Amino acid sequence: MPRGAEIIDRLAPIAELPSVFYEAFPMALIDLKETPVREANELIRQYGAVGEDVEIVNPDARHHLGVGLTEEISVRIRGSAGYFCAGLTDGAYFEVDNNVGWGVGDNIYRGTVVVRGNAGAIPGVAIRGAEIIIHGNMGSRAGQVMKSGTLCCAGNANFMAGYMMYGGRIIILGDSGENVGEDMSAGDIYVAGKLLSVGSDAVQVDVLPSELDSIMEFLDRYELKAKRGDFKKVNNAGKKLRYGKTEQQVRSIPFHTFSGKCDYWGPKVQEDVWVKSQIGRYRIRGYGGARTLPHLSDLAFRSDLSTIGDDPHVVSKVSMNTRIGGKHGANPLDLSMPVLIAPMSYGALSRSTKQAIGIASSLSGIAENTGEGGMSDAQRDAADQLIFQCLGGRLGWNIHDMKRANALEIYISQGAKPGFGGQLMAKKVTKELAEIRGIPEGIDLRSPSRHPDILGADDLVIKVQEFREATGYRLPISIKLGAGRIHDDIKIALKDGFDFVELDGMQGSTGAGGAEVMEYVGIPTISAIVGALDGLAEIDCAGEIQIVLMGGLRDGIDAVKALCLGADAVAFGTSAIIAGGCIACMQCHVGQCVTGIATQDPDHEKRYNVSVEARNIHRFLEVVRWQIAAITNALGYKNVTSLCRDDLVALTPEAAEITRLAYEPGYRDSDRNFSESVGLG
Amino acid sequence: MCGIAGLLFKNSDYHSGLGRSLIDMLDGCQHRGPDSTGFALYGPSQRGRLVLRFLVGEGRGAEKAISRIRSVLSEQQARIDEEYNVGGHFRVKVSVDHDIRAFSYAMEQAAQVFSIGESLEIIKDVGGAHDVDALYRVHEFEGTHGLGHVRLATESDVKPEAAHPFWATGFSDVAIVHNGQITNYWKMRRRLERRDFEFRTDNDSELIAVYLAEKLSEGVSLDEALETSIQDLDGTFSFLVSTMDEIGYAKDKLAAKPMIMYETENLVAIASEEVSLNRLFPGRALDTHEPPPGTYATWRRDNRPVGPNRRAA
Ligand SMILES: Cc1cc2nc3c(=O)[nH]c(=O)nc-3n(C[C@H](O)[C@H](O)[C@H](O)COP(=O)(O)O)c2cc1C
Repeated sequence: MPRGAEIIDRLAPIAELPSVFYEAFPMALIDLKETPVREANELIRQYGAVGEDVEIVNPDARHHLGVGLTEEISVRIRGSAGYFCAGLTDGAYFEVDNNVGWGVGDNIYRGTVVVRGNAGAIPGVAIRGAEIIIHGNMGSRAGQVMKSGTLCCAGNANFMAGYMMYGGRIIILGDSGENVGEDMSAGDIYVAGKLLSVGSDAVQVDVLPSELDSIMEFLDRYELKAKRGDFKKVNNAGKKLRYGKTEQQVRSIPFHTFSGKCDYWGPKVQEDVWVKSQIGRYRIRGYGGARTLPHLSDLAFRSDLSTIGDDPHVVSKVSMNTRIGGKHGANPLDLSMPVLIAPMSYGALSRSTKQAIGIASSLSGIAENTGEGGMSDAQRDAADQLIFQCLGGRLGWNIHDMKRANALEIYISQGAKPGFGGQLMAKKVTKELAEIRGIPEGIDLRSPSRHPDILGADDLVIKVQEFREATGYRLPISIKLGAGRIHDDIKIALKDGFDFVELDGMQGSTGAGGAEVMEYVGIPTISAIVGALDGLAEIDCAGEIQIVLMGGLRDGIDAVKALCLGADAVAFGTSAIIAGGCIACMQCHVGQCVTGIATQDPDHEKRYNVSVEARNIHRFLEVVRWQIAAITNALGYKNVTSLCRDDLVALTPEAAEITRLAYEPGYRDSDRNFSESVGLG
Repeated sequence: MCGIAGLLFKNSDYHSGLGRSLIDMLDGCQHRGPDSTGFALYGPSQRGRLVLRFLVGEGRGAEKAISRIRSVLSEQQARIDEEYNVGGHFRVKVSVDHDIRAFSYAMEQAAQVFSIGESLEIIKDVGGAHDVDALYRVHEFEGTHGLGHVRLATESDVKPEAAHPFWATGFSDVAIVHNGQITNYWKMRRRLERRDFEFRTDNDSELIAVYLAEKLSEGVSLDEALETSIQDLDGTFSFLVSTMDEIGYAKDKLAAKPMIMYETENLVAIASEEVSLNRLFPGRALDTHEPPPGTYATWRRDNRPVGPNRRAA
């Protein structure tokens, strides 16, 4: 019931209201018939800041109600809420009088949601400590990738409750639906009604008396009833958490040999056959694909660049400042040159490495990216501009780090292994790392390849909106795409309202991936950028979304070629870690990196000197800056935005076919001379 | 990539709110698909009189298409009772007593057919629900039931002919709206093509429409046709189908696409999101229901219960 709170002008700044109002009308009222959701969420946060509870009337199943709230107030919703009700919150109490849509309580840290009606699919997705109580029935995949907390449903659950959960408990008082606990890693699922069937790698086990005590206490607290004796319990069966056999360490073949021109039975093939004969499965390794594919090095500059080294002050003569992500009014990333660091996870890389890369990015005035697995304080402190990446497992994803990020990124796939999630072998899943990610220690982590709440472009648009609502529309939101059907995917990225795209080709690297996928799945980086631009042009939207290109870019020369082809900026992964000491042994997945880069073992990490490597990476980035400036200047431009396709020719028929640039093999010699004069090698 | 909606009035004959209600429902979920919007509307019918809706475009092209339509109609010995041209559409009402499949394949030679039926009319174009309404006055439409769709174009272009709903080419009064992706599309299509069914698009939604209509033409009930569709179609889908007297839904076994419904004595309303249902009943907490995966159901407009969602065997 409205409690006279209408008197409070809903737009008046809260601080200016006389305190007598709060005493007389302890609950603020927001009427969604007149207040748009965006404004309502602002108001809820403002009321939260002064500790005032909120009542929402006429919600009419609108999405994103209350998202991003981090104050301990209570929010009462008088009707039904739509998708992601109470999502990305910490500490609040929500009560919904009727139904909720998909993803109620998405990613809640702490806090409570009570739903009096039914819940749609994925209730309690990715929660990390909430209590969610649904009085009616709940939809499919309840508690997908949840980490801890309790999801309780008084009615019936549906298909695949507890799908891929990592911890916490699900209590179902009615019937369970099929495939309970499908591919769960840990956590407990209790069913009082009919247990229809258990999923892959799940098993029914006995319930302990202490667990029953705890369940009954929980039910009492929320005034729910069930018979103690009825509960059945489902746990992980432990058959898929670890690979059956770990891959032996072999004497590593250096990358340049490994990727070199190989005859049919070269050392690489021989090693591959032998290792497979031992482990009986596909292999996993770090680094990128090692087949020869069309690449930026198959393109050359059309002009004579022989005067390139002549000007020592060239950097100050070329305008390179680049802003990325301001398209929809968010604060853009402000880069001193069109360069970013590629997303690389803390997990694949050591904390020290992430720290060094962060420092280097700040020194060079560019942006760093968390990659999968969360944001550490060290990393946040080190990087002036930090993109926070969100993947399907929501490992380490949370509202507080979202708010302190400079941009958010939704990972759909990456060039090295399109269609696959991250992989982190048990050796790297240490106690500390597992804690940040909210997963059990010591498993061979295969992160989900799909997001629980993104099963199509139509869902994605609602997800993007949730992030915007949660962070007050301040942050640019990007999408990371490993190129495949990029010609179509880029259109989705544009239409779903992203601010920019991080586009990755199959020459990109990874911390760990299936070898076959790395070598054979995806399209080359030059095909990726051409396909993306063609897709945009086809719907008359050329230039309407910024593209950051990555995947096998080695230095400033590759960067300029990418910019000429039409990228707005580029990102470096592998070359940044090589600059910081990587020896390219391709054993990143093993976890015993001798340089302390791709490891979580403190003894190994000790070898890594953060300040020295930060300087090295920074120095490399400054060479990239010089290369970009020198080439741009030599091509006759004062601004990197002037670079264009006319500046390039193709040296091979394949590259010409892909890029539609003129095939001019005659430029090969001048290109070689040029690369030697300004290149790194 | 889209949002869907369906509405059936169980009791009343021709409800003046049909068009208006579907517009509201689609406007409520327009965020799921801003590129194009479409309606399949069922109005009063007369035996032996067919309403044909064509896409003719604008200007000279439209004139040519319309004269082609007229000449094919006369070849087919169909008498034109009414005709008008609005937006890029051309609508004619004809008297004809032919095998509908041969007739519609012949009409396809003249221009792109949106729908043929005694009662069905499909109206679809680029833009949002209100844009389409402004041009085609959907809100004035009286009827018993209908479907609606908002589309986010991913692979094919933003063109009126790529918009939903899809008519079951060759079958009178059958329409479909679909959210999802049929992964055994080509296999199923080839199977139907071998039996001389024609397809006008590469859109998987048209396939579902033809698949169901073919079953219906063999005398199978809509209910049974939906049951087998869940077995025969692979992929992710939530779809709604309508015939002259019924609407029905089917949902894949993976529950990957949303669908929610609300039923009273007088109506059944189904949509991708509850927000669309609430547009019909603002301010009310509705007792809605999410159909479980792998289920289907149908409703008839004469209020004969066909049964609530059942699971495909
Ligand atoms: C050690 C390592 C870890 C990575 N982790 C992630 C990640 O968490 N998320 C992601 O989107 N990409 C990840 N990538 C891929 C990079 O972001 C990027 O796609 C690729 O490395 C770019 O190609 P480059 O290494 O040739 O510059 C990782 C790459 C490496 C080498």
